Amino acid sequence: MRHVPTLLARELGAFFLGPMAYIVLMAFQVIALLNFWELVDALSQPQREFSSIRDPMTTYVSSSPLFWFSILVAVPLLTMRLIAEERRTGTIETLLTLPVSEAEIVLSKWLAGVLMYLALLVPFALYLPFLYFQAKYYFDLGPLLSLGIGLSTMGMMFVAIGLLFSALTRNQIVAAVWTFVVLFLMVVLTLLLYFYGARQQAGWAEAIRFLAVYVQVRAFGQGQLDPRTIALHLSVCVFALYVTVKILETGRRR
Amino acid sequence: MIQVERLTKQYGSVRAIDKISFGVGQGEIVGLLGPNGAGKTTTMRILTTYLSATSGRAVLAGHDALDEPLAVRRKVGYLPENVPLYQEMRVKEYLRFRAKLKDVPRSRRRLAVSEVVSRCRLTDVEDRILGHLSRGFRQRVGLAEAMVHDPDILILDEPSSGLDPIQIREVRGLIEELGEKHTILLSTHIMSEVEAVCGRVIIIAGGRIAIDEKIEKLRLDKAILVEARGPAEPIRNVLLGIDGVNRVTITSQETGISGFELGTQGGRDVREAVCQKLTANGWTLRSLELKRSSLEERFVEAVTGDGADPSKVKAT
Repeated sequence: MRHVPTLLARELGAFFLGPMAYIVLMAFQVIALLNFWELVDALSQPQREFSSIRDPMTTYVSSSPLFWFSILVAVPLLTMRLIAEERRTGTIETLLTLPVSEAEIVLSKWLAGVLMYLALLVPFALYLPFLYFQAKYYFDLGPLLSLGIGLSTMGMMFVAIGLLFSALTRNQIVAAVWTFVVLFLMVVLTLLLYFYGARQQAGWAEAIRFLAVYVQVRAFGQGQLDPRTIALHLSVCVFALYVTVKILETGRRR
Repeated sequence: MIQVERLTKQYGSVRAIDKISFGVGQGEIVGLLGPNGAGKTTTMRILTTYLSATSGRAVLAGHDALDEPLAVRRKVGYLPENVPLYQEMRVKEYLRFRAKLKDVPRSRRRLAVSEVVSRCRLTDVEDRILGHLSRGFRQRVGLAEAMVHDPDILILDEPSSGLDPIQIREVRGLIEELGEKHTILLSTHIMSEVEAVCGRVIIIAGGRIAIDEKIEKLRLDKAILVEARGPAEPIRNVLLGIDGVNRVTITSQETGISGFELGTQGGRDVREAVCQKLTANGWTLRSLELKRSSLEERFVEAVTGDGADPSKVKAT
Protein backbone atom coordinates (compact mmCIF):
# COMPACT_ATOMS: atom_id res chain seq x y z
CA MET A 1 0.00 0.00 0.00
CA ARG A 2 3.05 2.28 0.00
CA HIS A 3 2.36 3.38 -3.57
CA VAL A 4 -1.03 4.83 -2.72
CA PRO A 5 0.17 8.39 -1.87
CA THR A 6 2.13 8.59 -5.16
CA LEU A 7 -0.78 7.35 -7.24
CA LEU A 8 -3.22 9.54 -5.32
CA ALA A 9 -1.13 12.66 -5.94
CA ARG A 10 -1.07 11.99 -9.66
CA GLU A 11 -4.86 11.39 -9.75
CA LEU A 12 -5.57 14.66 -7.96
CA GLY A 13 -3.08 16.39 -10.23
CA ALA A 14 -4.91 15.07 -13.27
CA PHE A 15 -8.22 16.34 -11.84
CA PHE A 16 -6.95 19.85 -11.32
CA LEU A 17 -4.93 20.04 -14.53
CA GLY A 18 -8.08 19.41 -16.52
CA PRO A 19 -11.06 21.75 -16.68
CA MET A 20 -13.56 19.32 -15.15
CA ALA A 21 -12.69 19.92 -11.50
CA TYR A 22 -13.07 23.68 -11.81
CA ILE A 23 -16.32 23.50 -13.75
CA VAL A 24 -17.92 21.19 -11.22
CA LEU A 25 -16.60 23.17 -8.25
CA MET A 26 -17.88 26.39 -9.75
CA ALA A 27 -21.30 24.89 -10.33
CA PHE A 28 -21.44 23.74 -6.73
CA GLN A 29 -20.43 27.14 -5.51
CA VAL A 30 -23.38 28.68 -7.37
CA ILE A 31 -25.75 26.04 -6.05
CA ALA A 32 -24.52 26.58 -2.51
CA LEU A 33 -25.10 30.30 -2.92
CA LEU A 34 -28.66 29.78 -4.16
CA ASN A 35 -29.45 27.35 -1.36
CA PHE A 36 -27.97 29.63 1.23
CA TRP A 37 -30.05 32.48 -0.12
CA GLU A 38 -33.14 30.37 0.25
CA LEU A 39 -32.16 29.36 3.76
CA VAL A 40 -31.62 32.96 4.91
CA ASP A 41 -34.86 33.93 3.25
CA ALA A 42 -36.72 31.19 5.08
CA LEU A 43 -35.15 32.07 8.39
CA SER A 44 -36.07 35.73 8.02
CA GLN A 45 -39.80 34.96 7.62
CA PRO A 46 -41.17 34.57 11.12
CA GLN A 47 -44.07 32.32 10.14
CA ARG A 48 -41.74 29.73 8.58
CA GLU A 49 -39.05 30.13 11.16
CA PHE A 50 -40.36 27.48 13.45
CA SER A 51 -39.77 24.53 11.11
CA SER A 52 -36.45 25.84 9.85
CA ILE A 53 -35.05 26.48 13.28
CA ARG A 54 -35.39 22.82 14.10
CA ASP A 55 -33.22 21.63 11.27
CA PRO A 56 -31.83 24.34 9.05
CA MET A 57 -29.54 21.79 7.39
CA THR A 58 -32.55 20.07 5.83
CA THR A 59 -33.57 23.19 3.97
CA TYR A 60 -30.04 24.06 3.12
CA VAL A 61 -28.74 20.71 1.91
CA SER A 62 -30.44 17.41 2.42
CA SER A 63 -33.91 18.18 1.10
CA SER A 64 -32.89 20.63 -1.56
CA PRO A 65 -33.73 19.26 -5.03
CA LEU A 66 -31.00 21.40 -6.51
CA PHE A 67 -28.40 19.80 -4.26
CA TRP A 68 -29.49 16.29 -5.16
CA PHE A 69 -29.65 17.02 -8.83
CA SER A 70 -26.15 18.41 -8.83
CA ILE A 71 -24.75 15.51 -6.80
CA LEU A 72 -26.30 13.07 -9.27
CA VAL A 73 -24.63 14.89 -12.13
CA ALA A 74 -21.32 15.73 -10.47
CA VAL A 75 -20.36 12.28 -9.15
CA PRO A 76 -20.50 10.60 -12.59
CA LEU A 77 -18.53 13.51 -14.05
CA LEU A 78 -15.82 13.07 -11.45
CA THR A 79 -15.58 9.30 -11.58
CA MET A 80 -16.05 8.63 -15.29
CA ARG A 81 -12.46 9.30 -16.29
CA LEU A 82 -10.75 7.47 -13.44
CA ILE A 83 -10.16 4.17 -15.25
CA ALA A 84 -11.94 4.59 -18.59
CA GLU A 85 -9.52 7.35 -19.58
CA GLU A 86 -6.55 5.07 -18.89
CA ARG A 87 -8.12 2.39 -21.02
CA ARG A 88 -8.78 4.81 -23.88
CA THR A 89 -5.28 6.28 -23.99
CA GLY A 90 -3.60 2.94 -23.30
CA THR A 91 -1.83 4.16 -20.19
CA ILE A 92 -3.54 1.30 -18.36
CA GLU A 93 -0.89 -0.90 -19.97
CA THR A 94 1.92 1.05 -18.34
CA LEU A 95 -0.02 1.15 -15.07
CA LEU A 96 -0.69 -2.59 -14.89
CA THR A 97 2.88 -3.54 -15.74
CA LEU A 98 4.24 -1.64 -12.74
CA PRO A 99 5.19 -3.48 -9.56
CA VAL A 100 1.98 -2.12 -8.06
CA SER A 101 -0.99 -4.28 -7.12
CA GLU A 102 -4.43 -3.76 -8.62
CA ALA A 103 -5.81 -3.10 -5.15
CA GLU A 104 -3.42 -0.19 -4.67
CA ILE A 105 -4.46 1.29 -8.01
CA VAL A 106 -8.17 0.98 -7.28
CA LEU A 107 -7.79 2.31 -3.76
CA SER A 108 -5.88 5.40 -4.83
CA LYS A 109 -8.29 6.18 -7.63
CA TRP A 110 -11.21 5.79 -5.26
CA LEU A 111 -9.54 8.02 -2.65
CA ALA A 112 -8.95 10.67 -5.29
CA GLY A 113 -12.63 10.52 -6.22
CA VAL A 114 -13.72 10.75 -2.58
CA LEU A 115 -11.46 13.73 -1.92
CA MET A 116 -12.85 15.51 -4.96
CA TYR A 117 -16.37 14.73 -3.80
CA LEU A 118 -15.63 16.15 -0.36
CA ALA A 119 -14.19 19.24 -2.03
CA LEU A 120 -17.59 19.73 -3.64
CA LEU A 121 -19.19 20.02 -0.22
CA VAL A 122 -16.77 22.71 0.92
CA PRO A 123 -18.72 25.52 -0.81
CA PHE A 124 -21.74 24.59 1.31
CA ALA A 125 -19.71 24.63 4.51
CA LEU A 126 -18.20 27.96 3.52
CA TYR A 127 -21.41 29.92 4.18
CA LEU A 128 -22.26 28.41 7.54
CA PRO A 129 -19.79 30.42 9.67
CA PHE A 130 -21.42 33.60 8.33
CA LEU A 131 -24.78 32.39 9.52
CA TYR A 132 -23.37 31.38 12.88
CA PHE A 133 -21.06 34.29 13.73
CA GLN A 134 -22.29 37.20 11.69
CA ALA A 135 -26.00 36.63 11.68
CA LYS A 136 -25.75 35.28 15.21
CA TYR A 137 -28.01 32.43 14.28
CA TYR A 138 -26.83 29.75 16.67
CA PHE A 139 -27.96 26.57 14.98
CA ASP A 140 -27.35 23.16 16.47
CA LEU A 141 -23.95 21.72 15.60
CA GLY A 142 -24.91 18.07 16.22
CA PRO A 143 -27.08 17.62 13.11
CA LEU A 144 -24.43 19.40 11.09
CA LEU A 145 -21.84 16.85 12.19
CA SER A 146 -24.16 13.92 11.60
CA LEU A 147 -25.03 15.27 8.14
CA GLY A 148 -21.32 15.58 7.39
CA ILE A 149 -20.71 11.96 8.32
CA GLY A 150 -23.75 10.79 6.37
CA LEU A 151 -22.81 12.71 3.24
CA SER A 152 -19.25 11.39 3.45
CA THR A 153 -20.24 7.73 3.65
CA MET A 154 -22.80 8.29 0.92
CA GLY A 155 -20.10 9.89 -1.23
CA MET A 156 -17.74 6.98 -0.61
CA MET A 157 -20.44 4.62 -1.84
CA PHE A 158 -21.31 6.77 -4.87
CA VAL A 159 -17.69 7.20 -5.92
CA ALA A 160 -17.05 3.44 -5.57
CA ILE A 161 -20.02 2.78 -7.84
CA GLY A 162 -18.77 5.34 -10.34
CA LEU A 163 -15.32 3.77 -10.27
CA LEU A 164 -16.80 0.34 -10.93
CA PHE A 165 -18.54 1.57 -14.08
CA SER A 166 -15.41 3.43 -15.14
CA ALA A 167 -13.50 0.14 -14.98
CA LEU A 168 -16.04 -1.59 -17.18
CA THR A 169 -15.62 0.54 -20.28
CA ARG A 170 -13.12 2.57 -22.25
CA ASN A 171 -15.78 5.16 -23.07
CA GLN A 172 -16.12 7.85 -20.42
CA ILE A 173 -19.60 8.85 -21.53
CA VAL A 174 -20.84 5.29 -21.17
CA ALA A 175 -19.33 5.14 -17.69
CA ALA A 176 -20.95 8.44 -16.72
CA VAL A 177 -24.38 7.44 -18.02
CA TRP A 178 -24.35 4.10 -16.22
CA THR A 179 -23.24 5.73 -12.99
CA PHE A 180 -25.92 8.40 -13.31
CA VAL A 181 -28.62 5.81 -13.96
CA VAL A 182 -27.66 3.72 -10.94
CA LEU A 183 -27.33 6.69 -8.60
CA PHE A 184 -30.62 8.05 -9.91
CA LEU A 185 -32.32 4.75 -9.11
CA MET A 186 -30.79 4.74 -5.64
CA VAL A 187 -31.94 8.28 -4.83
CA VAL A 188 -35.13 8.95 -6.75
CA LEU A 189 -36.66 5.60 -7.62
CA THR A 190 -36.38 4.27 -4.08
CA LEU A 191 -38.11 7.41 -2.86
CA LEU A 192 -40.97 7.10 -5.35
CA LEU A 193 -41.32 3.39 -4.54
CA TYR A 194 -41.46 4.22 -0.86
CA PHE A 195 -44.23 6.78 -1.40
CA TYR A 196 -46.12 4.31 -3.54
CA GLY A 197 -45.68 1.47 -1.04
CA ALA A 198 -46.63 3.66 1.88
CA ARG A 199 -49.84 4.68 0.18
CA GLN A 200 -50.68 1.01 -0.39
CA GLN A 201 -49.58 0.34 3.18
CA ALA A 202 -47.45 -2.48 1.82
CA GLY A 203 -45.02 -4.31 4.06
CA TRP A 204 -42.05 -3.69 1.78
CA ALA A 205 -42.43 0.06 2.06
CA GLU A 206 -40.41 0.02 5.25
CA ALA A 207 -37.60 -1.95 3.60
CA ILE A 208 -37.49 0.47 0.68
CA ARG A 209 -37.48 3.35 3.12
CA PHE A 210 -34.35 1.95 4.68
CA LEU A 211 -32.67 1.76 1.28
CA ALA A 212 -33.78 5.17 0.01
CA VAL A 213 -30.66 7.34 0.02
CA TYR A 214 -32.69 10.52 0.15
CA VAL A 215 -34.51 9.42 3.30
CA GLN A 216 -31.21 8.31 4.85
CA VAL A 217 -29.49 11.63 4.28
CA ARG A 218 -32.53 13.59 5.46
CA ALA A 219 -32.39 11.61 8.66
CA PHE A 220 -28.71 12.43 9.03
CA GLY A 221 -29.55 16.10 8.50
CA GLN A 222 -32.05 15.89 11.32
CA GLY A 223 -29.37 14.58 13.61
CA GLN A 224 -30.22 10.87 13.51
CA LEU A 225 -26.85 9.22 13.15
CA ASP A 226 -27.92 5.71 12.25
CA PRO A 227 -25.03 3.21 12.30
CA ARG A 228 -27.07 0.79 10.17
CA THR A 229 -27.12 3.29 7.32
CA ILE A 230 -23.39 3.91 7.67
CA ALA A 231 -22.78 0.16 7.62
CA LEU A 232 -24.92 -0.12 4.49
CA HIS A 233 -23.02 2.64 2.70
CA LEU A 234 -19.64 1.21 3.61
CA SER A 235 -20.59 -2.35 2.65
CA VAL A 236 -21.80 -1.28 -0.78
CA CYS A 237 -18.61 0.76 -1.14
CA VAL A 238 -16.30 -2.11 -0.20
CA PHE A 239 -18.19 -4.48 -2.46
CA ALA A 240 -17.96 -2.14 -5.46
CA LEU A 241 -14.22 -1.63 -4.86
CA TYR A 242 -13.69 -5.38 -4.58
CA VAL A 243 -15.47 -5.98 -7.87
CA THR A 244 -13.40 -3.22 -9.50
CA VAL A 245 -10.15 -4.86 -8.36
CA LYS A 246 -11.39 -8.18 -9.74
CA ILE A 247 -12.28 -6.55 -13.07
CA LEU A 248 -8.74 -5.20 -13.39
CA GLU A 249 -7.25 -8.54 -12.40
CA THR A 250 -9.34 -10.60 -14.79
CA GLY A 251 -8.63 -8.06 -17.53
CA ARG A 252 -5.41 -10.00 -17.95
CA ARG A 253 -7.40 -13.04 -18.99
CA ARG A 254 -9.17 -11.41 -21.93
CA MET B 1 16.76 -14.61 -18.49
CA ILE B 2 13.56 -15.28 -20.40
CA GLN B 3 12.21 -18.80 -20.77
CA VAL B 4 9.03 -19.34 -22.72
CA GLU B 5 7.47 -22.76 -22.99
CA ARG B 6 4.56 -23.72 -25.19
CA LEU B 7 2.90 -20.36 -24.70
CA THR B 8 -0.61 -20.13 -26.15
CA LYS B 9 -3.05 -17.25 -26.14
CA GLN B 10 -6.58 -17.63 -27.29
CA TYR B 11 -8.90 -14.66 -27.88
CA GLY B 12 -12.29 -16.29 -28.19
CA SER B 13 -11.93 -18.58 -31.16
CA VAL B 14 -8.84 -16.82 -32.50
CA ARG B 15 -5.50 -18.24 -31.51
CA ALA B 16 -3.11 -15.30 -31.38
CA ILE B 17 -0.06 -17.34 -30.49
CA ASP B 18 0.19 -21.08 -30.65
CA LYS B 19 2.56 -23.07 -28.42
CA ILE B 20 5.60 -20.90 -28.93
CA SER B 21 8.78 -21.73 -27.05
CA PHE B 22 12.02 -19.81 -26.96
CA GLY B 23 14.68 -18.65 -24.57
CA VAL B 24 16.69 -15.47 -24.24
CA GLY B 25 20.01 -15.58 -22.43
CA GLN B 26 21.61 -12.97 -20.23
CA GLY B 27 22.86 -9.95 -22.19
CA GLU B 28 21.34 -11.01 -25.48
CA ILE B 29 19.53 -8.62 -27.81
CA VAL B 30 16.82 -10.57 -29.54
CA GLY B 31 14.58 -9.24 -32.27
CA LEU B 32 11.04 -10.48 -32.49
CA LEU B 33 10.07 -10.17 -36.11
CA GLY B 34 6.80 -10.74 -37.84
CA PRO B 35 4.08 -9.20 -39.96
CA ASN B 36 1.31 -7.23 -38.30
CA GLY B 37 -1.00 -9.49 -36.33
CA ALA B 38 1.56 -12.27 -36.05
CA GLY B 39 1.42 -12.23 -32.25
CA LYS B 40 4.44 -10.09 -31.37
CA THR B 41 2.55 -7.69 -29.12
CA THR B 42 0.54 -10.49 -27.54
CA THR B 43 3.75 -12.34 -26.68
CA MET B 44 5.26 -9.22 -25.15
CA ARG B 45 2.12 -8.42 -23.19
CA ILE B 46 2.19 -11.89 -21.70
CA LEU B 47 5.85 -11.54 -20.78
CA THR B 48 5.17 -8.21 -19.08
CA THR B 49 2.20 -9.78 -17.20
CA TYR B 50 -0.28 -7.37 -18.80
CA LEU B 51 -2.08 -10.39 -20.22
CA SER B 52 -2.09 -13.93 -18.97
CA ALA B 53 -1.51 -16.85 -21.27
CA THR B 54 -4.22 -19.39 -22.02
CA SER B 55 -1.66 -22.13 -21.50
CA GLY B 56 2.08 -22.55 -21.28
CA ARG B 57 4.67 -20.89 -19.07
CA ALA B 58 6.79 -17.79 -19.18
CA VAL B 59 9.61 -17.39 -16.68
CA LEU B 60 11.48 -14.10 -16.50
CA ALA B 61 14.54 -13.62 -14.31
CA GLY B 62 13.51 -16.70 -12.37
CA HIS B 63 9.92 -15.63 -11.70
CA ASP B 64 6.81 -17.06 -13.29
CA ALA B 65 4.76 -14.40 -15.08
CA LEU B 66 1.49 -15.89 -13.92
CA ASP B 67 2.31 -16.77 -10.31
CA GLU B 68 4.51 -13.83 -9.32
CA PRO B 69 3.48 -10.94 -11.54
CA LEU B 70 4.79 -8.27 -9.15
CA ALA B 71 8.25 -9.87 -8.96
CA VAL B 72 8.39 -10.07 -12.76
CA ARG B 73 7.25 -6.46 -13.15
CA ARG B 74 10.07 -5.36 -10.86
CA LYS B 75 12.64 -7.01 -13.13
CA VAL B 76 11.20 -5.90 -16.45
CA GLY B 77 11.18 -2.53 -18.18
CA TYR B 78 8.46 -2.30 -20.80
CA LEU B 79 7.94 0.10 -23.68
CA PRO B 80 4.45 -0.54 -25.03
CA GLU B 81 3.55 0.02 -28.65
CA ASN B 82 2.56 3.67 -29.35
CA VAL B 83 4.05 4.75 -25.99
CA PRO B 84 1.03 5.71 -23.90
CA LEU B 85 1.93 8.58 -21.53
CA TYR B 86 0.03 10.84 -19.17
CA GLN B 87 -0.44 13.85 -21.43
CA GLU B 88 -0.68 16.43 -18.67
CA MET B 89 2.57 15.64 -16.87
CA ARG B 90 6.01 17.09 -17.48
CA VAL B 91 8.89 14.88 -18.61
CA LYS B 92 10.92 14.94 -15.43
CA GLU B 93 7.86 14.86 -13.22
CA TYR B 94 6.61 11.79 -15.07
CA LEU B 95 9.94 9.98 -14.78
CA ARG B 96 10.12 10.78 -11.08
CA PHE B 97 6.56 9.54 -10.62
CA ARG B 98 7.32 6.29 -12.40
CA ALA B 99 10.59 5.81 -10.53
CA LYS B 100 8.70 6.15 -7.26
CA LEU B 101 6.14 3.56 -8.35
CA LYS B 102 8.91 1.24 -9.46
CA ASP B 103 10.43 1.31 -5.98
CA VAL B 104 13.62 3.14 -6.85
CA PRO B 105 14.87 4.07 -3.37
CA ARG B 106 14.52 7.75 -2.45
CA SER B 107 18.28 8.23 -2.17
CA ARG B 108 18.89 7.05 -5.73
CA ARG B 109 15.76 8.41 -7.36
CA ARG B 110 17.07 11.84 -8.35
CA LEU B 111 20.25 10.31 -9.73
CA ALA B 112 18.40 7.56 -11.61
CA VAL B 113 16.06 10.08 -13.25
CA SER B 114 18.79 12.48 -14.28
CA GLU B 115 20.81 9.59 -15.63
CA VAL B 116 18.08 8.32 -17.93
CA VAL B 117 17.27 11.89 -18.96
CA SER B 118 20.81 12.46 -20.15
CA ARG B 119 21.10 8.98 -21.61
CA CYS B 120 18.00 9.38 -23.73
CA ARG B 121 18.99 12.97 -24.60
CA LEU B 122 15.95 14.51 -22.98
CA THR B 123 17.77 17.30 -21.15
CA ASP B 124 16.38 19.98 -23.48
CA VAL B 125 12.78 18.96 -22.94
CA GLU B 126 12.82 17.82 -19.32
CA ASP B 127 10.36 20.52 -18.25
CA ARG B 128 8.04 20.26 -21.24
CA ILE B 129 4.54 18.83 -21.02
CA LEU B 130 4.35 15.29 -22.42
CA GLY B 131 1.28 16.05 -24.53
CA HIS B 132 3.24 18.73 -26.40
CA LEU B 133 6.20 16.53 -27.31
CA SER B 134 6.88 15.23 -30.79
CA ARG B 135 6.72 11.55 -31.60
CA GLY B 136 10.48 11.07 -31.34
CA PHE B 137 10.71 12.62 -27.92
CA ARG B 138 7.71 10.67 -26.67
CA GLN B 139 9.44 7.50 -27.78
CA ARG B 140 12.56 8.49 -25.90
CA VAL B 141 10.56 9.34 -22.79
CA GLY B 142 9.05 5.86 -23.06
CA LEU B 143 12.51 4.34 -23.28
CA ALA B 144 13.76 6.42 -20.35
CA GLU B 145 10.74 5.32 -18.35
CA ALA B 146 11.34 1.66 -19.19
CA MET B 147 14.90 1.73 -17.87
CA VAL B 148 14.56 4.13 -14.95
CA HIS B 149 14.58 1.32 -12.37
CA ASP B 150 17.54 -0.37 -14.07
CA PRO B 151 15.70 -3.60 -14.88
CA ASP B 152 17.45 -6.81 -15.88
CA ILE B 153 15.19 -7.25 -18.87
CA LEU B 154 13.93 -4.66 -21.33
CA ILE B 155 10.94 -5.49 -23.51
CA LEU B 156 10.47 -2.96 -26.27
CA ASP B 157 7.46 -3.12 -28.59
CA GLU B 158 8.36 -1.44 -31.88
CA PRO B 159 10.77 1.06 -30.37
CA SER B 160 11.40 2.83 -33.68
CA SER B 161 7.95 2.95 -35.24
CA GLY B 162 6.93 6.39 -36.38
CA LEU B 163 10.38 7.89 -36.08
CA ASP B 164 12.35 9.66 -38.77
CA PRO B 165 15.64 8.10 -40.00
CA ILE B 166 17.82 10.20 -37.71
CA GLN B 167 15.72 9.38 -34.68
CA ILE B 168 15.73 5.73 -35.67
CA ARG B 169 19.51 5.81 -35.73
CA GLU B 170 19.59 7.46 -32.31
CA VAL B 171 17.19 4.97 -30.77
CA ARG B 172 19.15 2.14 -32.34
CA GLY B 173 22.37 3.46 -30.85
CA LEU B 174 20.69 3.69 -27.50
CA ILE B 175 19.48 0.11 -27.70
CA GLU B 176 22.94 -1.13 -28.63
CA GLU B 177 24.35 0.77 -25.67
CA LEU B 178 21.72 -0.72 -23.36
CA GLY B 179 22.44 -4.18 -24.69
CA GLU B 180 25.76 -4.13 -22.93
CA LYS B 181 24.08 -4.27 -19.54
CA HIS B 182 20.56 -5.51 -20.13
CA THR B 183 18.80 -8.40 -21.78
CA ILE B 184 16.64 -6.95 -24.51
CA LEU B 185 13.70 -8.37 -26.42
CA LEU B 186 12.46 -5.99 -29.08
CA SER B 187 9.81 -6.33 -31.72
CA THR B 188 9.84 -4.68 -35.11
CA HIS B 189 8.99 -5.26 -38.71
CA ILE B 190 11.98 -3.33 -39.96
CA MET B 191 14.62 -5.76 -41.22
CA SER B 192 17.59 -3.47 -41.19
CA GLU B 193 16.96 -2.67 -37.55
CA VAL B 194 17.16 -6.32 -36.60
CA GLU B 195 20.34 -6.73 -38.62
CA ALA B 196 21.86 -3.63 -37.05
CA VAL B 197 21.23 -4.26 -33.38
CA CYS B 198 20.10 -7.80 -32.69
CA GLY B 199 22.31 -10.79 -32.03
CA ARG B 200 19.49 -13.18 -32.69
CA VAL B 201 16.20 -13.07 -34.49
CA ILE B 202 12.95 -14.88 -33.85
CA ILE B 203 10.45 -14.70 -36.67
CA ILE B 204 6.83 -15.27 -35.74
CA ALA B 205 4.26 -15.92 -38.40
CA GLY B 206 0.66 -16.87 -37.82
CA GLY B 207 1.24 -17.29 -34.10
CA ARG B 208 4.09 -19.77 -34.50
CA ILE B 209 7.84 -19.44 -34.48
CA ALA B 210 9.11 -19.82 -38.02
CA ILE B 211 12.78 -19.05 -37.50
CA ASP B 212 14.90 -18.73 -34.38
CA GLU B 213 18.51 -18.21 -35.35
CA LYS B 214 21.60 -16.13 -34.81
CA ILE B 215 21.98 -13.21 -37.16
CA GLU B 216 25.42 -14.29 -38.38
CA LYS B 217 24.05 -17.63 -39.40
CA LEU B 218 21.24 -16.04 -41.36
CA ARG B 219 23.74 -13.76 -43.05
CA LEU B 220 25.97 -16.59 -44.25
CA ASP B 221 24.37 -17.29 -47.57
CA LYS B 222 24.92 -13.86 -49.02
CA ALA B 223 25.16 -13.17 -52.70
CA ILE B 224 27.30 -10.85 -54.81
CA LEU B 225 25.74 -8.73 -57.51
CA VAL B 226 27.87 -7.88 -60.52
CA GLU B 227 27.11 -5.61 -63.43
CA ALA B 228 29.57 -5.29 -66.30
CA ARG B 229 29.77 -4.06 -69.89
CA GLY B 230 30.30 -7.03 -72.16
CA PRO B 231 28.71 -10.24 -73.52
CA ALA B 232 26.80 -12.22 -70.93
CA GLU B 233 27.87 -15.82 -71.60
CA PRO B 234 31.69 -15.32 -71.75
CA ILE B 235 31.62 -13.21 -68.59
CA ARG B 236 29.61 -15.91 -66.86
CA ASN B 237 32.19 -18.53 -67.77
CA VAL B 238 35.00 -16.38 -66.43
CA LEU B 239 33.15 -15.71 -63.21
CA LEU B 240 32.53 -19.42 -62.71
CA GLY B 241 36.26 -19.92 -62.92
CA ILE B 242 36.90 -17.81 -59.84
CA ASP B 243 37.90 -19.84 -56.80
CA GLY B 244 34.98 -20.21 -54.35
CA VAL B 245 32.18 -19.32 -56.76
CA ASN B 246 29.71 -22.16 -57.12
CA ARG B 247 26.75 -20.51 -58.84
CA VAL B 248 26.34 -17.70 -61.33
CA THR B 249 22.97 -16.63 -62.68
CA ILE B 250 22.40 -14.01 -65.31
CA THR B 251 19.92 -11.51 -63.95
CA SER B 252 19.78 -8.99 -66.77
CA GLN B 253 21.01 -8.61 -70.31
CA GLU B 254 20.57 -5.39 -72.26
CA THR B 255 22.53 -3.48 -74.92
CA GLY B 256 25.96 -4.65 -73.96
CA ILE B 257 25.45 -4.57 -70.23
CA SER B 258 24.95 -7.79 -68.27
CA GLY B 259 24.00 -8.41 -64.66
CA PHE B 260 24.94 -11.48 -62.61
CA GLU B 261 24.25 -12.91 -59.21
CA LEU B 262 27.03 -14.98 -57.66
CA GLY B 263 26.63 -17.59 -55.01
CA THR B 264 29.79 -18.43 -53.07
CA GLN B 265 30.85 -21.31 -50.89
CA GLY B 266 30.28 -20.52 -47.19
CA GLY B 267 29.53 -16.93 -48.03
CA ARG B 268 33.08 -16.08 -49.07
CA ASP B 269 33.63 -12.54 -50.20
CA VAL B 270 35.17 -12.76 -53.70
CA ARG B 271 34.59 -9.18 -54.81
CA GLU B 272 38.24 -8.37 -55.32
CA ALA B 273 38.83 -11.44 -57.45
CA VAL B 274 35.79 -10.59 -59.56
CA CYS B 275 37.08 -7.08 -60.15
CA GLN B 276 40.55 -8.33 -61.17
CA LYS B 277 39.21 -11.01 -63.50
CA LEU B 278 36.85 -8.65 -65.31
CA THR B 279 39.40 -5.88 -65.86
CA ALA B 280 41.98 -8.44 -66.97
CA ASN B 281 39.55 -9.50 -69.71
CA GLY B 282 38.84 -5.94 -70.75
CA TRP B 283 35.22 -5.76 -69.53
CA THR B 284 34.30 -2.60 -67.67
CA LEU B 285 32.89 -3.17 -64.21
CA ARG B 286 29.80 -1.05 -63.64
CA SER B 287 28.78 -2.18 -60.16
CA LEU B 288 29.77 -4.72 -57.58
CA GLU B 289 27.88 -5.20 -54.36
CA LEU B 290 27.42 -7.59 -51.53
CA LYS B 291 23.76 -8.43 -51.17
CA ARG B 292 22.60 -8.64 -47.59
CA SER B 293 18.89 -9.04 -48.04
CA SER B 294 18.99 -12.66 -47.10
CA LEU B 295 17.19 -11.96 -43.82
CA GLU B 296 14.42 -10.32 -45.75
CA GLU B 297 14.18 -13.29 -48.08
CA ARG B 298 14.11 -15.66 -45.16
CA PHE B 299 11.42 -13.54 -43.56
CA VAL B 300 9.21 -13.59 -46.62
CA GLU B 301 9.85 -17.29 -47.01
CA ALA B 302 8.86 -17.91 -43.42
CA VAL B 303 5.78 -15.71 -43.52
CA THR B 304 4.33 -16.69 -46.87
CA GLY B 305 5.59 -20.23 -46.88
CA ASP B 306 7.56 -19.81 -50.10
CA GLY B 307 10.28 -17.64 -51.59
CA ALA B 308 7.95 -14.96 -52.85
CA ASP B 309 8.93 -11.55 -54.11
CA PRO B 310 10.83 -9.87 -51.30
CA SER B 311 9.94 -6.41 -52.58
CA LYS B 312 6.44 -6.88 -51.21
CA VAL B 313 7.75 -6.67 -47.67
CA LYS B 314 8.39 -3.33 -46.13
CA ALA B 315 12.08 -2.75 -45.65
CA THR B 316 13.97 0.38 -44.75
